[in-house]
Amino acid sequence: MAEKAQAVEGETVMVDGVALAPQWSRMFEPRAITEYDLSVLDDITAIGGAESLGWCYQCGKCTAVCPVDTVGDYSPRKVFRRTQLGASLLDSPDLWLCTTCSNCLRVCPKEVNMIQIMPAVREKAVAEGQAPQELLSAFENTARYGNPLGEPARKRADWVKQAGVPVPIMSQHPDPVEVLWFVECYPAYHPRGQEASVALARILSTLGVDFGILGREEKCSGDSQRMAGEAGLFEMLAEHNVKVLSQYDFREILVTDPHAYNALLHEYPKFGGEWPTRHYTQFLAPRIGEMAFTRELPWRVTFHDPCYLGRHNGEYEAPRQLLQAIPGLQLVEMGRCRENAYCCGGGGGGMWMDSFTAQFTSMRLSEKRVLEAIEYGAEVLAVTCPYEVSRFEDAVKSTGNTGRLQVMDIAELLAKSLALVD
Amino acid sequence: MAMADRVLVVGGGPAGLEAARGIADLGTPVLLVEAKDTLGGTPWESYATLTPHLAPTRELMAEVKGAVESHPLIDVRTATRVVASEGGAGNFQVTLEHGGARVVEAAGAVVVATGFQHFDPGRETQMYGYYEYDDVITLVDAERMMQAGQFVRPSNGAPPRSVAFIQCVGSRDRRIGNQYCSKVCCGIASKQSIEVKHLVPDAKVFIFYIDMRMYGFWEDQLYWKAQEEHKVNYIRGIVTEVIKKGDQLLIKGEDTTMGRPVEVPMDLVVLSVGMEPSAGTLEMARIFQIPREPHGFLATVGEPLDTVTTPVPGVFVAGAAAGPKDLEDTVSMGGAAAMRAVSLLRRLAAQPA
Repeated sequence: MAEKAQAVEGETVMVDGVALAPQWSRMFEPRAITEYDLSVLDDITAIGGAESLGWCYQCGKCTAVCPVDTVGDYSPRKVFRRTQLGASLLDSPDLWLCTTCSNCLRVCPKEVNMIQIMPAVREKAVAEGQAPQELLSAFENTARYGNPLGEPARKRADWVKQAGVPVPIMSQHPDPVEVLWFVECYPAYHPRGQEASVALARILSTLGVDFGILGREEKCSGDSQRMAGEAGLFEMLAEHNVKVLSQYDFREILVTDPHAYNALLHEYPKFGGEWPTRHYTQFLAPRIGEMAFTRELPWRVTFHDPCYLGRHNGEYEAPRQLLQAIPGLQLVEMGRCRENAYCCGGGGGGMWMDSFTAQFTSMRLSEKRVLEAIEYGAEVLAVTCPYEVSRFEDAVKSTGNTGRLQVMDIAELLAKSLALVD
Repeated sequence: MAMADRVLVVGGGPAGLEAARGIADLGTPVLLVEAKDTLGGTPWESYATLTPHLAPTRELMAEVKGAVESHPLIDVRTATRVVASEGGAGNFQVTLEHGGARVVEAAGAVVVATGFQHFDPGRETQMYGYYEYDDVITLVDAERMMQAGQFVRPSNGAPPRSVAFIQCVGSRDRRIGNQYCSKVCCGIASKQSIEVKHLVPDAKVFIFYIDMRMYGFWEDQLYWKAQEEHKVNYIRGIVTEVIKKGDQLLIKGEDTTMGRPVEVPMDLVVLSVGMEPSAGTLEMARIFQIPREPHGFLATVGEPLDTVTTPVPGVFVAGAAAGPKDLEDTVSMGGAAAMRAVSLLRRLAAQPA
């Protein structure tokens, strides 16, 4: 009997110099699975934190809610299968596409926990130097300057000059304060983040809140670097911030950034730093009655739930209460909202990997989200995570919707209606 | 006509044992007939351990078996067959054959607990090569090896480096004529996969399935446990054929969640054979004229609320003679059949002559 043809496993096949994806390559080469190399799955699930990747039973619920799968070919179910087939997650772009939005974990019947798997496996990849260069640059900036943007530490409180109200810096402020405002990097440095910070400073001032900030002593909370695989850097930042915070006398911490909120709530206590902590929307919502709104904002506004405020930490109401308190404002919900909210693409290190991600996706998550906001008839996309203003504003431009949709932080909307900003 | 205050139980497996014990505990004498030399049925004969806790079969069954054997109201006849029956409810005259000799015994009611037989993979329309390749075995062959405390390739006696279970062999198949799910094979394959990993820790174990049908608690007791704790690999997509390749077996099918063909060599293939009515069950259907339901098992009336009453007055059924069952359902049916049989006799006794 003639020898049977050897089955060739063709993933991507080169034909006349053209790379053909597996769904096409079968026309040119057989693509039967000839081996299940389980050593890869064994290696990955042996990493502390990544055990649950091996629990997937292929129901596919994650695929339907994974924001990346709507623009690419990635979902936790597929990650498991590819790994089980012997494709190393450590070498795969899959490892860097997850934004740790946690929507898969919300629906996963087997509790396959990408929120633990991703940082654990990424940490190994980072240690082996296998991370995308842009991400490594963000890590390096954070290590060197205390922020991923690479801005000088001494400029961290420069935005205060535009505030027009006193913003006490703790190191120059001998008295205790009620509220320590942990500003974070994008609200301190990014031009659009600074505008939201100015708005929030004015709101706090108008409400008579006794607050202070850390200024240049503050460093990045590090939560996204942790999720992106830099646990060592996160530890360094956490130890620094806990040490600085411990020097001062305050009752509670207010944060602008849901990622910092997540770190302060769940991670910093492991480093000895445990304080009552609220996101600024949670701080302001109970004080709506004290707000003297003078301007109507007659806009159709939709709200993008930040993954780390909503799904990760269960806060869906405070931002909506604030928006609904604004006179004239009409809140419209997008189809994917609250627990099922879409993701801006910035979490889990996605903020620093846009060029890398673009190679494997048909559009950015932020662009997908902006199109959804427009589809639901919104004139304003309200956000409350500092990653989002810049991401969504870029997406408004890149999708050709300039003039059709404005992106504003809730603090900016409140300040507008309170006549604190133009 | 004399009313026989005795119940004939045909079959000494888990259903028959439980029925006999139940009837006797209610104070009614039992005539328990078993064709084989010993009580215990298919599990006792063929299974090393039982689902879901992997307990050794013989340890687990010894108690109920001993209770039946020593019960003063149970007359146990092993190596004995029922060969004919006359009469009906209240007065069956049943001919038994033992060692070539025939006797006629009276019984007021009958519980048929003659169980199932494993599907013969030679009838499979796929090409799995059970009768051609030494290293293609069934769940039953695997259990027998495990009874001896080992798991090896029959071809060379060496521990397998890779093992593929193929589900639904003989079940859920219109061409074969078995349109039903055999209920237990997914659980048993999962149970065995755990045992394979105990016996051969380095073996790569795969279960190729259409759907994993893990009823109730088996989901986490067996399926999740096998996958999560023992790293058994569940691959959706059934194997279509097995081809000899070198000293291994090439399994061919589709990995459906990847949408790609599979051609993977394995050291050992285990066919998850399903259940069919046993020869004894078909024989009892003929002797007691019990209709068979569309899948070929003994018919019951009053489904789903009465699982044991057959259309023949005075004849009840328990266990897998009525269709694929796990042990829990089998034993529960034994108890229900006991209750129905005894209450029938009491009702008949209370009627004016």
